[in-house]
Amino acid sequence: MRRMLVKVSVNGSPVELDLDPRESLLDVLRERLELTGTKKGCDHGQCGACTVHLDGRRVVSCLTPAVQADAREVTTIEGVAADDGTLHPMQRAFVENDALQCGYCTPGQIMAAIACVAEGHAGDDASVREYMSGNLCRCGAYPGIVAAVREVAQGWPA
Amino acid sequence: MNPPLPRVDALAKVTGQVRYGADWVPPGLAHAALTPAAIGKGRVVSVETAEAEAVPGVLLVLTRLAEGELTAPTFLMVGGDAFESVQPLLDDKIAHRGQPIALVVAETPYAAAEAAALVRATYEEEPVSVTLDDPGVEVRDQADVLGPYEDRVVGDADAAYAASARRVDAVFDLPTQHPVPMELTSSVVYWDDGGVTVHEGTQNASAIRRGLAGQLGLPQERVRVVAPYVGGGFGNRNSLQMQTGLAAVAARRLGRPVKLVVPRELMFHNSGFRPASRHRIRLGAGPDGRITALLHDVDQQTSRYDVFPASYTDTSARVYAVPAFRAHQRIVFTDSQTPGYMRAPYEHPAVFALESAMDELASATGLDPVELRLLNDTETDPLTGLPFSSRHLAECLRRGADRFGWARRTPQPGSMRADDGSLVGWGVASAAYKASAAPALTRLRLDPDGGLTVWAGAHEMGQGIRTAIVETVVGLTGMPAGLVTVEAGDTVGVPHQLTAGSWGTATVLPGVYGALEELRKRLGAPPTGPLPRVAAPAEVEVGSLAPGQPPEALDRVIAGGMAPAGPVYPDFTAYSFAAHFVEVRVEPTTRRVRVARTVSVVDCGRVASPVTAASQVRGGVVWGIGAALREHAEPDPRFGGFANADLEGYTVPVNADIPDIDLEFIDEPDPSLNALGVKGLGEVSMVGVAAAVANAVHHATGYRARRLPIRIEDLL
Repeated sequence: MRRMLVKVSVNGSPVELDLDPRESLLDVLRERLELTGTKKGCDHGQCGACTVHLDGRRVVSCLTPAVQADAREVTTIEGVAADDGTLHPMQRAFVENDALQCGYCTPGQIMAAIACVAEGHAGDDASVREYMSGNLCRCGAYPGIVAAVREVAQGWPA
Repeated sequence: MNPPLPRVDALAKVTGQVRYGADWVPPGLAHAALTPAAIGKGRVVSVETAEAEAVPGVLLVLTRLAEGELTAPTFLMVGGDAFESVQPLLDDKIAHRGQPIALVVAETPYAAAEAAALVRATYEEEPVSVTLDDPGVEVRDQADVLGPYEDRVVGDADAAYAASARRVDAVFDLPTQHPVPMELTSSVVYWDDGGVTVHEGTQNASAIRRGLAGQLGLPQERVRVVAPYVGGGFGNRNSLQMQTGLAAVAARRLGRPVKLVVPRELMFHNSGFRPASRHRIRLGAGPDGRITALLHDVDQQTSRYDVFPASYTDTSARVYAVPAFRAHQRIVFTDSQTPGYMRAPYEHPAVFALESAMDELASATGLDPVELRLLNDTETDPLTGLPFSSRHLAECLRRGADRFGWARRTPQPGSMRADDGSLVGWGVASAAYKASAAPALTRLRLDPDGGLTVWAGAHEMGQGIRTAIVETVVGLTGMPAGLVTVEAGDTVGVPHQLTAGSWGTATVLPGVYGALEELRKRLGAPPTGPLPRVAAPAEVEVGSLAPGQPPEALDRVIAGGMAPAGPVYPDFTAYSFAAHFVEVRVEPTTRRVRVARTVSVVDCGRVASPVTAASQVRGGVVWGIGAALREHAEPDPRFGGFANADLEGYTVPVNADIPDIDLEFIDEPDPSLNALGVKGLGEVSMVGVAAAVANAVHHATGYRARRLPIRIEDLL
């Protein structure tokens, strides 16, 4: 299998990768970069647990070939808090609204939630429910997730 | 009163710092992949591995393990540790769809997956029988299958039913369902000095430890299982599964750590699930609505080779004052992997059937559904005559009716409409779930810096047991939460037993309570108030028991087993209770059903952790909505197993399916079960929700659901 060299920015740091073109961004993050905050729940793009940002837009990293991240910026759950450790407002809102139980889907939920607000899809509860429906939560923390997203959206800079 | 404590591990979870089983990436890690059989039942005639072995990076292709390398485990329900008695790669038999015929290990997940797909085999295929009604299944009375078991009988229910002025006779079909925790089943295994360490999300580290030790022929002390956080349990991970032993063998052969992540589709076929069950309910009452008789007949699926028992009727008998009761449970042997305990395993189906029948009885007697339930409340257990340790079901119903605005309900089906023209339906159901408890060994260490470490034999799977422990310590000592550390989910600490059956809180918290008492005694400290400062670390290890248990029960836990007690204790019967109220909207043309709002009031004794308890209830309601309207693993009559074995085909509720969920706790301590007055919560919160949804659908449309999930075609 022909290999490919790519340069990716991961959470603001440049990373050079020698890739098998079949490698998913998810597996590269988890198994090679040891950024295991991004989770595998299905590997089929059906659950959203692996959601990360690629150039600021949400993608399911299990269906994103890692080579597709060449010369682009990847942000994972490990990269959303400030450098001094101050939580992202969405992380704080998830804690305050207990928008999680087992926590396995939570990184993906938070990455999707940040994007949901940035996309302008958080104007009312119904819209949040619709645009957060790509991220499954088997514990059933949905009401807390909606509350967290709405709270952040209302304080979001215009 | 302290303000409710936020979930203690929330910060670690929102920053991605919590490590679940497959998040371990030890140096030198090799990756494993499985090749599933291409048939649903039969035997493997030949396997061809040359192509697989030729894939660059492949280290090992296993199709048949060496004699004695790994033995078959023993099924959980006959004193063993495994969800089923089948262990792949020991012989040529294929017992069920998805059973692996090969394990491939390679340098990368890609090479492993590629090679696993290149393992070829020929088979002798046998036909499969997958549903309760398939002519190829075997049906037997449970009393004949399980030896000392007897169906429950109180009075002459047949005669009482025949003499009843009002009768409901209905059959309800409950489908196969899967727990589907978000974390994939996985094992990261490595050997060290003749011992083996397993990182694996589990509700039962002891079962993996004892079971794997038995499979490998090792003493238990040489097996360590690490599972500090679990990505959802719901019964899916309550025992040893097939991949742990395979990963252990591969890691031993290669002298390297091995990671084996079971793909989602294979999880559907290689772990326990909620079996299909059919319930005939015959409910008799007087003209005034007082219940005179209840008969409950059950058929429940199991596999061909293990008997997953049916225990539905213990709960259906105890929701109301039932003067005459007769149960009859049968086991249906089908071709599938062995079913298991999925959240509220018996109580959700049993109470769905009972509470649907109660709604019909309300119609038959002209009584309001809430009034009918209040009329039939009881303070004593109909099966034993013992008093309930605490029972606030009537209060749950009254408060729930108030919160919901039930008084505004008009009884006639189809009589309520929303502004947009949708049909509005309001439904109610009661819930009951046994209040079990188990022995525990709890260790505390108080350090000179004031920090307290708690070792508890429990598993944190999102229910909030760590938070409940910290909140209990804070409540009993006044110490800051930040000074309390909880060590749980590691067999190096205290003995762990299965965390399931809603017995975690009523097991672990009394253990912590007793250990704190002992620590105070040891330090000569007063029985309440802050703990004293210590000059050197002070450590205690204390055993605790459920009411009426002999000390030997604790020995069973220490030996790696489990010893839950209840719901019947020497002096009382203990249950948790709830009442659920649901509003549905049915779109008049498409008949699409949406749940618009819910109200739940729950009696789980004293609430140990208000924040995590509220989330437990919301989660239970979400599960009930899923059971009512979404979830059905479709048995595949051609290939066995399930036809919709992924997260696209098996539809769990998504965010857009879930409305506002309102809830309240009775929060009255149970005076008998333990000193803290806590009862279980995780499962009672789901029980009855599906019936409340179905009763609401009836109120909106006039349709009586005899099977779940309710689908649009049922309403057209």
